[in-house]
Amino acid sequence: MDALILTENVLQALAAGILVGSVYGLMCVGLGLIYGVMRVINFAQGDFLMLGMYAALYLFTGLGLGAALGPYLGPAVATVLGAAILYVLGVVLHQTLLRRVTGIRVAGTESEGHYPQLILTLGISLILANAGLIVFGSMPQSIRTPLSASAWEIGPLVGQNLSVFLNKARSIAFLVSVVVALALFLFIARTRLGKTLRAAADNPEAATYMGIDVDAAYRVAFAIGVALTAIAGGMVATYYPFQPYVGLEFVIIMYAGVVLGGFGSIGGAFWGGLTIGLVQQLSTLVLPVQLQNAAIFVVFLVIVLVRPEGLFGRSAERI
Amino acid sequence: MLSVERLCVAYGGLRALIDVSVEVGAGQFAAIVGPNGAGKTTLFKSISGIVAPVSGAIRFDGQDLLAIAPAARAQLGIAHVPEGRQVFKALSVLENLEMGAHPLRARALWARNLEQIFALFPVLAQRRSQLAGTLSGGEQQMLAIGRGLASAPRLLMLDEPSMGLAPTIVDQIFERIRGIHREAGIAVLLVEQRVAEALESCDRGYVLESGRVVLEGTHDTLIRDERVKRAYLGM
Repeated sequence: MDALILTENVLQALAAGILVGSVYGLMCVGLGLIYGVMRVINFAQGDFLMLGMYAALYLFTGLGLGAALGPYLGPAVATVLGAAILYVLGVVLHQTLLRRVTGIRVAGTESEGHYPQLILTLGISLILANAGLIVFGSMPQSIRTPLSASAWEIGPLVGQNLSVFLNKARSIAFLVSVVVALALFLFIARTRLGKTLRAAADNPEAATYMGIDVDAAYRVAFAIGVALTAIAGGMVATYYPFQPYVGLEFVIIMYAGVVLGGFGSIGGAFWGGLTIGLVQQLSTLVLPVQLQNAAIFVVFLVIVLVRPEGLFGRSAERI
Repeated sequence: MLSVERLCVAYGGLRALIDVSVEVGAGQFAAIVGPNGAGKTTLFKSISGIVAPVSGAIRFDGQDLLAIAPAARAQLGIAHVPEGRQVFKALSVLENLEMGAHPLRARALWARNLEQIFALFPVLAQRRSQLAGTLSGGEQQMLAIGRGLASAPRLLMLDEPSMGLAPTIVDQIFERIRGIHREAGIAVLLVEQRVAEALESCDRGYVLESGRVVLEGTHDTLIRDERVKRAYLGM
């Protein structure tokens, strides 16, 4: 009987880990895309996630998408629309600020321009978090649907007692994340624009010789990266309460995931995020819930000690 | 077609090019030779817009190139095959060539150009799906030239295509470059440290030393010049 309960708990944690981890994977892909193409370490990524959450929330409630489309489709559509708004914000931020500290003009300068980039993105992060506090208030909110408190039962698998429950809100978040991440991989691998982004990442100088506008390529990569993380944010918002400082919690998860996957590898970023989700959920089997994030960092440290290039990193690969 | 007029370039306080004038006519083969650090690569980077000159002018078909954004210059029909090849290492051979065909004009001619590039460098066809970073140096050079040709250029600028390659490969590459010039009628501007090979094929040559053109002339005048013979041809 004990063995049955243990098996059930492990399966339950595995399932939850895969669901949550895929959403982490998508937010890591957003961060990883920006780093992989622009070589910019973006501290504001957590705050773009936060904005994605609020954008989805206000579109869901304010625009009446929740009432019109129901609990399954409503949050997803609100999230995607919110991500479109964040895409535009990404374009504007790149055009007005990031363009000044990235691109060909910093390649080959001292530390490749990383110091101004760090200071700029940290500044953007602080401004967004505090502006969020003024505009949205400090009360934790969430996109409330009945789905966050209900689950699909898989099973009974063995006998009558062993079933796995999949939280409905998390399952939809998982589906949306996987579909969006797959779409991004196809876009990067197959389309001409995707190849152009890879070329601009690989060698900005040679890309310019080919007639590729590197600044424009970076702008697209930055805006897509922001939008992807915003989609992950909107999905998290359906099962996790958030406030304007929530970005800090997630930016740490994102960096752990991206480093774990191998900095600069976009596919790796997804698997890194998934690993973080699995570790977080599986750790609840043996550790108190409060120590979830501690478990992430222990595993993170072990993996980085054993494989400094990350789980999926290859030294010659940039993207 | 291309005319560089009294170009001056400086890095910080260091003058890299001083009053350099170079002329390439339509369909011509021009060579710029000279020792390391003479400013040859700087001249190419100015033409492509990676380096901004202090003074002087660069014209292509009468248009002021300096007023055109660097990335827009490829659209005019200028292909720059850079020093050290600079292929996109994480992209496949075919994807590298596709990126060469970025200018809209070139995309229309893509199928025809690809066939010609593969005919010129059959090894690229064999390795079309291999990552460019895994090619040998000679193959990467062929890819870099192929990538330049994929842009359907009217002027092909080659920066030290012989760098770091075995002599037999160098001979092969020079032969292909001469072929491209002869058969496709593309104007070529070649920068080389291998003076003998470069001067052998050119219509017009320039000797660049410490940022200045110290000697220029037609193929015949240059190879008969006593200074060139002594300093570069070892005669």
